[in-house]
Amino acid sequence: MLGDYTATLTLIALTAIFAYSFYAVLMAGQLSLGQAGLASLAGFSATVVMPDSPVVGLSPLVVGIPVGMLVGACVAFLLGLPVMRLRGVFLAIATLGFAEMVRIVLINAEWTGGAQGTSVPKLVTPGIAWGCLLLVAYWFWRLGGSRFGRGLAAIREDELAARAMGVHIRRYRMAAFVTSGAIAGMYGVLLAYFSRFITPDDFGFAAAVDGLVTAVVGGSLLFLGPLLGSGFLTSVPEIQRALGVEAGWIRPFLSALLLLVVILFLPGGLSSLIPRWRTPRLDPSIPAPELPALPPPGTSVLTLKGLGKAYGGLHAVRSVDLELGSGEILGLIGPNGAGKTTLVNLISGLSVPTSGTGTVLGIPLGPDGQGHRFARAGVSRTFQHSKLFDRLTVLENALVGAHVVTRPTLLRRLLWLPSARRDEQRALAQAGAQLARVGLADRAGVNAGALSYGDRRRLEIARALAAHPTLLILDEPAAGMNHVEAQELSTLIRTLAEDGITVLLIEHNVRMVLETCTRIVVLSFGEVIAAGDPATIAKDPVVIEAYLGSDGPADSRV
Amino acid sequence: MQQVLNGIFAGSIYALFAIGFTLVFGVLDRLNLAHAAVFTTSAYVGIELVADLGLSIWLAIPAVLVTGAVLGLVIERVAFRPLKGRHDAHFAGLISSIAVGGMFLALLQARYGPDTRRFPADAFPSTDFELGGVRITLLQLVILGVSLGLMLGLAYLVNRTRLGRGMRAVAENPHAAAVLGVNVDRVTATTFAISSALGAVAGVLLAFYVNSAQMTMGFNIELKGLAVIIVGGMGSLKGAMIGGIALGLAEVFAVQYVGSSWRDVVAFGLLFGILLLRPQGLFGARQVREV
Repeated sequence: MLGDYTATLTLIALTAIFAYSFYAVLMAGQLSLGQAGLASLAGFSATVVMPDSPVVGLSPLVVGIPVGMLVGACVAFLLGLPVMRLRGVFLAIATLGFAEMVRIVLINAEWTGGAQGTSVPKLVTPGIAWGCLLLVAYWFWRLGGSRFGRGLAAIREDELAARAMGVHIRRYRMAAFVTSGAIAGMYGVLLAYFSRFITPDDFGFAAAVDGLVTAVVGGSLLFLGPLLGSGFLTSVPEIQRALGVEAGWIRPFLSALLLLVVILFLPGGLSSLIPRWRTPRLDPSIPAPELPALPPPGTSVLTLKGLGKAYGGLHAVRSVDLELGSGEILGLIGPNGAGKTTLVNLISGLSVPTSGTGTVLGIPLGPDGQGHRFARAGVSRTFQHSKLFDRLTVLENALVGAHVVTRPTLLRRLLWLPSARRDEQRALAQAGAQLARVGLADRAGVNAGALSYGDRRRLEIARALAAHPTLLILDEPAAGMNHVEAQELSTLIRTLAEDGITVLLIEHNVRMVLETCTRIVVLSFGEVIAAGDPATIAKDPVVIEAYLGSDGPADSRV
Repeated sequence: MQQVLNGIFAGSIYALFAIGFTLVFGVLDRLNLAHAAVFTTSAYVGIELVADLGLSIWLAIPAVLVTGAVLGLVIERVAFRPLKGRHDAHFAGLISSIAVGGMFLALLQARYGPDTRRFPADAFPSTDFELGGVRITLLQLVILGVSLGLMLGLAYLVNRTRLGRGMRAVAENPHAAAVLGVNVDRVTATTFAISSALGAVAGVLLAFYVNSAQMTMGFNIELKGLAVIIVGGMGSLKGAMIGGIALGLAEVFAVQYVGSSWRDVVAFGLLFGILLLRPQGLFGARQVREV
């Protein structure tokens, strides 16, 4: 009885493995269609290197599969060097172009047997196929709760925010791409030695689309997704056959219809039907970890000399000089379009100045300044328009924030080393403590996308605090808050400063800035027009003229 | 010279297909992968109209244009509108359009069977012209004329009419457009209808050109269409037109100088090079990301 289904079972495993190679990049928000080309190269390489007889009593596949994975990974790396800077459909089409070129080159090559392809022995049994699948699934299972996995999810949800939290975007994206290549390579070898035949046309556009469809139908939010997708899509034609549905047009029509239904009515794919029973949870008994002390009050945190940023002819920021010492709360105010956010982007390394110099925590601002280096040095920020990782829970958002103060755990998680678990719990405690600080501890398990506006702003702050920052930059944290909430926020900011955190506060709520800050800098049309303590600023006629309008009272909200 | 002309004829079909493709991307930021299925469908419908109903090709072209527009409305309604406002609309749109395309092809197979279909022998006037040693058939002129005419018509529509203004407004910012009183749903549906109508005419013209229609003809043109819209710049109508004709020419010369088995490398080599050197394409505008 089972005998009739061995081919189907093997096919489910192979399709799932191929879908995992798409999942590997989808989970980082990348859409790549080049996996078919990588699988093809790996499969043909294996036909060249694989011995005919068993190796130390094992199937020759013990040579073929690693070689295929290596070929897939190496080619993916080389391909990734130029294409990794592309995003969205551009990446998809570039990799698709690569796969087509591979196909045509292999058709025209001698050693592959051209369009006729190469005959190979049938070596893949259901056991081997499922064994390989379990290995791949195990990898993604352990990846899910690791720092690496959270970093990839953060990139998928919001790349810029992930960078600001210290995730090394280029390296992570490349790692995902190379993983995808290795898995595609495994698939190429397995497919060849399962179907006894390999031709370049097995790995065309249609194959790539099938792989993508399987991965998306399964869902990219849970490691079981590709397996579910493969089980579903491979068995639909089989079930139709068993039910006696006529071959010809009805089967493809029903398959396409089901695909449409799944994609329209199950936004997270089939895996969204499975409840997430193991999202990280807070254990209040574990204390927040001891972290290195912040620099003593008065240490220089930030020095800017004549810093400027021009977009074409427009000077968003023009020769700004600024000093900031540890423990200060510096308010940065100015009318809309004064260049406040631009200045903050420069300081946090998200954009590069066009003139002047500056150092932030010892890192010079310059062309090779990358966002993640600033985060590592101790700069953490919130965004004016909140950039949370919406499909992650509140706690997971804070965990990504703790990226720079935690250690990588994937390899140790694969081996179940207890130290990985300890590290994860320390990270959880660190994240949980920050949630408690802003009053979100009881919402830890909720998806960030489901939070109210005020809670989103609070979570932004908790996420930034989880990085244990020396310099905390708050970009309009009180926007949309009522008077009472703004008061609470002001109190929180002052406690942070007492803990030794330097705060740079950008805010339109002038009353709050005057109450909270130790020093205030006023920016107008990209230039500093006034600086001093709150009392001086409130009376400065230049400020009142430029910012509040000549007859506005100093404490009105703008 | 003969080769150059052949390249232009084939290229104008690519351009027509790619313009429909890029129109949807430019206005709605969505890639409609059912576009190729419309292309295939219209080729079969065109053959049926001429072969079985005895329509002249002059009437078949407008009939196919209307068919394409209807298919476009169906695609928008079934594959794209339900996704509106969804976080993953980008990925999901790719997949749902693949699904709808698959359904179209299955229905085609139900009606016409899996075999290649051809026009009856006397469907085209066999007139041809000699111009300075170059032979041009009337059919080739028709292809070029229809393609160019439709492309110019589209350019007029987008740049000069009220509908075109609505399309450009939606492309810029759908929310703002809605606030300003543009009926975004209607503009979206119309964009799909126009896009698919162009893809459909491209399909029937290619069927005229090679005198056959097969189930797999869509895959090939879909890949080429993607290459063309990247090379020309995503969303750029001018880029798709020039890119399509350039691809037609490049293929002709590749066959002549490198060999026919390498023909398709040209498109993808070009595509790859452009993506690396100038990701926004030859005529695309660079997009700046804002915090």
